[in-house]
Amino acid sequence: MARVELDITRRQFFGAGLAGAAAIGAGTSPLAMRYPDPPWFATGEVTTTYNYCDMCPWKCGIAVQSVDGKVLKVDGNINDPKSRGMLCGRGQGGVSFMYDPDRLQSPMIRTGERGEGKFREVTWEEALDYTAEKILAIKEQYGPESLAIFGHTTGDFWFTDYFAQAWGTPNAGKPSSALCLSPRDEACNLTLGYPVGGHEPMDWDEIECVTFIGSHVGEDSRNTVMQDFIDARDRGAQIIVVDPRFSTAASKADYWLPIKPGTDTALLLAWVNVLIEENLFDREYIDQYAVGYDELEAHVKDLTPEWASTITELPADQIRETARVMGQRHPKAAIMPGRHTTWYGNDSQRMRTVFIINSLLGAYGRHGGMYFDKSPFIDSYPHPPFAVTGSAGGCSAEPGEEVSDELPLGPSGKARADGARETFLRGATAMQELIDPMINDDPYRIAGLIVYGVNLLNSVPMPSRTIEALKKLDFILAVDVLPQEHIAWADVVFPEATFLERYDELSTVPYKTPFIQMREPAVAPMYDTMPGWQMARELGLRVGLDAYFKWETVEEYLDTRLRSVGSSLEKMHDAGGVLIQEGKPYLEDFGDESPFRTPSGKIELFSEELAEAGFDPIPVFEPTEEPPDGYFRLLYGRVPVHTFAKTQNTPVLSDVYPENELWINEDEAAALGYSNGDRVWLENEAGDRTGPIPVKATQRIRKDAVFMAHGFGQQSEGLTNANGRGASDTKMMSRYKLDPISGGAGMRINFVRLVEGG
Amino acid sequence: MPDTNGDQLLRYRRGQRIIHAVMAGSFLILLFTGLALVWSPLAFIAAGGWSRYLHRIAAIGFMSVPILYIVFDRAGAKEIVTESFKYDSDDVAWFKKMYRYVLGRTAEMPPQGRLNAGQKLHHSAVMVFSASIVVTGIIMWGFKSSLSASMLSWTAMIHDLSMLALALLLVGHIFFTYVYKAWSSMATGYVPKEDMELEHSKWVEELEHEGAENTPA
Amino acid sequence: MTSAFLLDMSRCIGCEACVVACKTGNELPIGRQYIELIEHTSGTFPNLTGGFQNQRCYHCSDATCVAVCPTGALFKDDGLTRLNRDACSGCGYCVQSCPYDVPKMSDGRASKCDACASNVGGGGSPWCVTTCPGKALKYGDREEILAEAHQRVDTIKGRYPNAQVYGETQAGGLGLILVLPDDPETLSIPADPPPTPASANLWKNWVQPISMGSTAVAVAGLGVLGVIARRNHIAEMNEVEGSEEAAVAAGDGSEGINDA
Repeated sequence: MARVELDITRRQFFGAGLAGAAAIGAGTSPLAMRYPDPPWFATGEVTTTYNYCDMCPWKCGIAVQSVDGKVLKVDGNINDPKSRGMLCGRGQGGVSFMYDPDRLQSPMIRTGERGEGKFREVTWEEALDYTAEKILAIKEQYGPESLAIFGHTTGDFWFTDYFAQAWGTPNAGKPSSALCLSPRDEACNLTLGYPVGGHEPMDWDEIECVTFIGSHVGEDSRNTVMQDFIDARDRGAQIIVVDPRFSTAASKADYWLPIKPGTDTALLLAWVNVLIEENLFDREYIDQYAVGYDELEAHVKDLTPEWASTITELPADQIRETARVMGQRHPKAAIMPGRHTTWYGNDSQRMRTVFIINSLLGAYGRHGGMYFDKSPFIDSYPHPPFAVTGSAGGCSAEPGEEVSDELPLGPSGKARADGARETFLRGATAMQELIDPMINDDPYRIAGLIVYGVNLLNSVPMPSRTIEALKKLDFILAVDVLPQEHIAWADVVFPEATFLERYDELSTVPYKTPFIQMREPAVAPMYDTMPGWQMARELGLRVGLDAYFKWETVEEYLDTRLRSVGSSLEKMHDAGGVLIQEGKPYLEDFGDESPFRTPSGKIELFSEELAEAGFDPIPVFEPTEEPPDGYFRLLYGRVPVHTFAKTQNTPVLSDVYPENELWINEDEAAALGYSNGDRVWLENEAGDRTGPIPVKATQRIRKDAVFMAHGFGQQSEGLTNANGRGASDTKMMSRYKLDPISGGAGMRINFVRLVEGG
Repeated sequence: MPDTNGDQLLRYRRGQRIIHAVMAGSFLILLFTGLALVWSPLAFIAAGGWSRYLHRIAAIGFMSVPILYIVFDRAGAKEIVTESFKYDSDDVAWFKKMYRYVLGRTAEMPPQGRLNAGQKLHHSAVMVFSASIVVTGIIMWGFKSSLSASMLSWTAMIHDLSMLALALLLVGHIFFTYVYKAWSSMATGYVPKEDMELEHSKWVEELEHEGAENTPA
Repeated sequence: MTSAFLLDMSRCIGCEACVVACKTGNELPIGRQYIELIEHTSGTFPNLTGGFQNQRCYHCSDATCVAVCPTGALFKDDGLTRLNRDACSGCGYCVQSCPYDVPKMSDGRASKCDACASNVGGGGSPWCVTTCPGKALKYGDREEILAEAHQRVDTIKGRYPNAQVYGETQAGGLGLILVLPDDPETLSIPADPPPTPASANLWKNWVQPISMGSTAVAVAGLGVLGVIARRNHIAEMNEVEGSEEAAVAAGDGSEGINDA
């Protein structure tokens, strides 16, 4: 019966209660204030390997981080002169590219009909033996030149350059030549005696006026160029952008010239006119380093801004003013050479005008102008003389050897079949010109095709012609990472390990400070895939090319090369993945030697070679075909998180930009009854259709053209994210105009209209 | 004769007991699932969803209580509402001596009806705070997206304070049930008559009076 | 000392490298990104201006999301707004309350930039800052960042006469300091977001802790009291029974309770 009574008053009770309540309430908050579970880089040991990125052909040096055999992050390598520690969105998507669940996992041999996509999985042994057998049969019957090799991405060396030359086919080509750079490089060869070089050698650190003709930096997401451009602009450099579209670059420009498509040469000639008339060019420089000035002066006498104004639909004042902006800043002013220059079929001449202007500005070899690239020094791995000298060219191609009049001949005496010297004057192998010989055996039969890393049906114009060729070939080998559209047409498929899973040939970069990059695997190849070097070697050993593959391991190959510059794979890794050498960027570095490798040893404003070949020795404006009523000119370009037709399936990149959009002038769209977001189809003059694609009704584009990002509208069921998304510009290219100087395929001559439904 | 079972009195009819069970059950689920939304150690139950659905299902149960009461025991519903809001002088006196009751002593407590003053206060408070928690709950369930940041905070705060009140009332409710061994009243409905004579003498008199009225003379 | 980002929109070229670096480094699921680049255009062809809105968490000092978060999953640390997703109950109040429309629901929980808390904690930089090819992003001491932002505005005034710093005072001072080429409205950024409502602060700082605490105290207190009171009640009942028995035993005619 004990009775306990609490001897406290009510007030005290409540007071204690409140205090206690507050204390406990506050006490729960710090419990919530803990950091989340440690992320991947705080668990386990992070391994760093060095690599050069494969997400576009620019090859930024990267540092790759992995933990326990899983690659987790890619960032720019701070030691690399291209990336300088930074990296674009495509590069950041490299991990996602490697772990794309749609990847090809096993070698395959076709079982159904070509195009059905029916395969059986086989061992590497069987796939390689079968391939060797087939290409040896072709060599036996037609000669080794009958095997064409198309290649791109940063691993293209082994098949398109090395194997091709060892085997003996001159018919090796990269889309980066005639579908991209050729007009630019040949115009530069003709004017300066060397090609532009992989790395457009603009002296960004000191330049004071940069002009872009169509180059859409920012949407074209090239890491180094974006860095340099933003720095130069921020430093106060004047920016002039010539583009029918208000691109990102245009939005950053001091002057935007919304030029009528196809009329750039008129603008450029008028600029020459102003620079000469108003004496805004570097007369001393021209006197010392150039020939053909008098002819040039006479040529442009009547090509005034007023003349150009009617053609380009630009105000004459604007043309004159922008010429002055450039001229007043010479020699620290230049027009960016750009890259994809295959537009209208007269592109080499347009590019000649660009280089003539840069010469008038006195930019070449001057601080703040255009410096001279130099290739890094390093020995090749010794090999016997090649069966044929290569002419595949490419994005990061070295400034080449002399182009001789004689085309290199293969072992059975055949030159390349792309019409070089006949339909076009000079330049690297024109890949798209090798399609016709596959169909009609003219000039001779091409019976076999190896496609390495090229999204064939989404890159080469006139895809229906390509399909015809694929039907007629005796043998097709596709080497790829993903089941791109053309894979269904292959006889044999070799699945490649991605760049993060393999060693590779060293990347040698001509630059202001030439440098060498390495690729070392972060992890072993996934699935049953193989690096390209190993495929080339295994195939080479089976077709009698042992002498070209004397090295047992790729490490031996690379170490041997690196020894010639006092390094090794290990040393190079320890040095931070890059070896940097000294360059020869300016005129003063050349002394008495002329940096210009033309026949005259000088800049050729007037081109003898062109005159002799029957072309205009100084560019003349030629109008291009206009779109018929109701049609728009189809322009194409880039978006910053995608590369060509390569990345549309990469999960993280597809997530950020899953399908392209059709840029169309807002008023034009309204007149047709369309508003932003409406899904439409496109139809070209041949009746081909592609779509659906959402409309982007915008003020940012002229009324006579439409624009979309290249690489969409792919059709391959194996590509979960890319299949059927957006529209394909390639499928709208029922024709192209061959540039008779460089072999480039002018693809902006296709016209489309908007239609409902497919 | 009053409802008896030997020396037991029927305090809560079956309908009332079932409705009480519905209310108690749904309230406990609401309390627990609601806590998961605001207390970080339990947050994992709420994130991703299942407790949030349960909260809504239990809310429907909770909101149905007054409706069930009216449908199945209208007289009881009327009774509880009118009784809980009517206080007499005995109730006032009871409140003054409440501390004794809290300490477990019924002696010297003024005579009480069916519901003692504390129970009346409990019922009326439960009704008031149930209303406020339900109204704010419905707003947050269906109309949350149209609330401004300020309105959302106020609504959540009132819901939170209503929860606080109801939780404290629940704690007190369990306290008194434990102290006064009242579990059987809701489990079986019957309570010892002896206890009722001590604590609810006026109710016992009423029942006897009714019983006398109903007995033939 | 608190930390902050500097984001110089005069340098941002809209390349979305930051978007992808962040997605990859933070292992975000498909459908989710912490950063979004939105294109802006004004004027009519050919008189156009344009730029990008780099939409991401502004890391407000006066963070409404923190104030309305019932579990404390959102909290301020070193000047930035962090999110501990394990403590998130998915209520969605933050999604609704943010004046910049930043948090989003993902897998049932709130999701937003936490300024790479773990990365920075381990001595690194936020992923977006490391990768930006425009060098538009920096991260460091807020005072230094602010000073640099003002310097940047001076540098770019030639090209952008209306250039300004954004974030010095907005929302109590942001952890994301922007160098804007023009007024914030031109990029759809609110000029001055509303402050956290007093009701939210009242709820978070007072009502919530007191509710939880007092309930806990009541349970504890009444638990103890209950044991005592029940003992008292039983004792009382025994006394009453005892006196009744005594009365019955005494047979003194006093009326028992049970007599009708």
